[in-house]
Amino acid sequence: MSYKIPMGPYHPALEEPYKLDLICEGETVLDSKLHIGFNFRGIEHLAETRNYIQVVALMERVCGICSNIHTLTLCQAMEGLTNQTPPPRALYIRTIMAELERLHSHVLWAGIAAKLMGFKTMFMTCFELREKVMDVLQAISGNRVNYSMNRIGGVNRDISDPAAILKMVEALEAEMGRTVIPIFTTSRTARSRCAGIGVLTTEKAVSLGVVGPVARASGVGQDLRKAAPYAAYAEMEFDVPVQTAGDVTARLLVRALEIMESCKILRQALSKLPPGEVNTGEEKFRFTTGTAISRAEAPRGEVLYSVSWREGSRNPARVHVRTPTFVVMPAIRWMVKGARLADTPLIQASIDPCYSCTDR
Amino acid sequence: MTLLTEVIEKLGTTETWVEQGGVHWLTLEAMSIRALAAAMNTLHARFITITAYQLPKDEGLRLEYHWDLNGELLGFVFKLAANSIESIFDLCEAADWIEREIYEEYSVNIAGREYEPLLLRQGDIAGVNLREVKL
Repeated sequence: MSYKIPMGPYHPALEEPYKLDLICEGETVLDSKLHIGFNFRGIEHLAETRNYIQVVALMERVCGICSNIHTLTLCQAMEGLTNQTPPPRALYIRTIMAELERLHSHVLWAGIAAKLMGFKTMFMTCFELREKVMDVLQAISGNRVNYSMNRIGGVNRDISDPAAILKMVEALEAEMGRTVIPIFTTSRTARSRCAGIGVLTTEKAVSLGVVGPVARASGVGQDLRKAAPYAAYAEMEFDVPVQTAGDVTARLLVRALEIMESCKILRQALSKLPPGEVNTGEEKFRFTTGTAISRAEAPRGEVLYSVSWREGSRNPARVHVRTPTFVVMPAIRWMVKGARLADTPLIQASIDPCYSCTDR
Repeated sequence: MTLLTEVIEKLGTTETWVEQGGVHWLTLEAMSIRALAAAMNTLHARFITITAYQLPKDEGLRLEYHWDLNGELLGFVFKLAANSIESIFDLCEAADWIEREIYEEYSVNIAGREYEPLLLRQGDIAGVNLREVKL
């Protein structure tokens, strides 16, 4: 006889509210149903009531973890409508900020995953490391969550001492290489808790159109930093880690390897930071009528901004955001099918969901 | 043959691509969205999203469908005269949530599918979130 277990909208295993109704038989999950919308704030509608300066501050608040990538993508789209080309130094700073954000997001996720595995000491180690990444972000931007770095035509703040930031990044890289990476890739606790659970096959990943580390852990090797480079990614050398198992271990490995690739990009960007201005210096912008679309590889995968404007208006006519979790989250239904009930918190956390992004 | 010409050939259209705002746009007057989705499947394009846009005055709505083909962003525009369009959910599983969202935010009838509320809570009315309604 099957029975239903509602998980959420408020549950110890969830960082934000959403609901997963699990249909179980004994300890086995037969099917599930997802409910979102608990964080719906009507941000796309609010964007239509903000001018081109205010809308950047608004969209930075779509997500509390990947706030920078939202403004980067939005500004790229608005630059398409205002015919602005950011100077090379600004593109490098955007790349540095995006990679630092990826680092802090992946380490945060690693900490939460460790907690759900029952590996509490690892949780503490990850959060200590995340603090150090946030110290670097604060040293650059003056902020720890909403960095206010991006603007139309470049960035708001310069990196005045890249050598000092490089030192901080090298210390971080050494620490991650010494603790997080070996533990997550070789520890028996991590392996026994994650191997073979929450499998998403390559065929299903393609069919659902999942993106980011979840897609790459299921053998779909797409990454916009390579496929459609933006900011300064075309000038960076890095690999895109891909795993084929599609289970929680594969997602863990992909993110662990991405941490090292991010450090590699950061080292290159900081040592090659070109001289010059950090923005075009323009304060007032004239928008052309039309739609511009921009995409970027957020820590959780592809984020897309579609921005429409009518000439003469200070406010956008429409801002549509397609966040990565919006396309990854439906995959949870397929990942938990056949899983043990006790594994479902870790499986749903393995996609690194961002509920605020999804609901907007 | 470039990827974009391959798409044109697959779709069997005489229309040409217009590159604007980071997208390769194609306006297909004579093709249904379902035929387009089926063609995109054979090309192994990745469905990204649908953006609904309310046109000024009483011109109705415009839906922009997006696919990714090897890093190229493709956009297809469909104007809705009757506030209704066929669902592609059975052809493209990835379109499920965004079709539901567009129904809820703009009250567009996505015909040919059953769907449960996505963002709406009990007692909410479809179309109130983003659709501008003249009272």
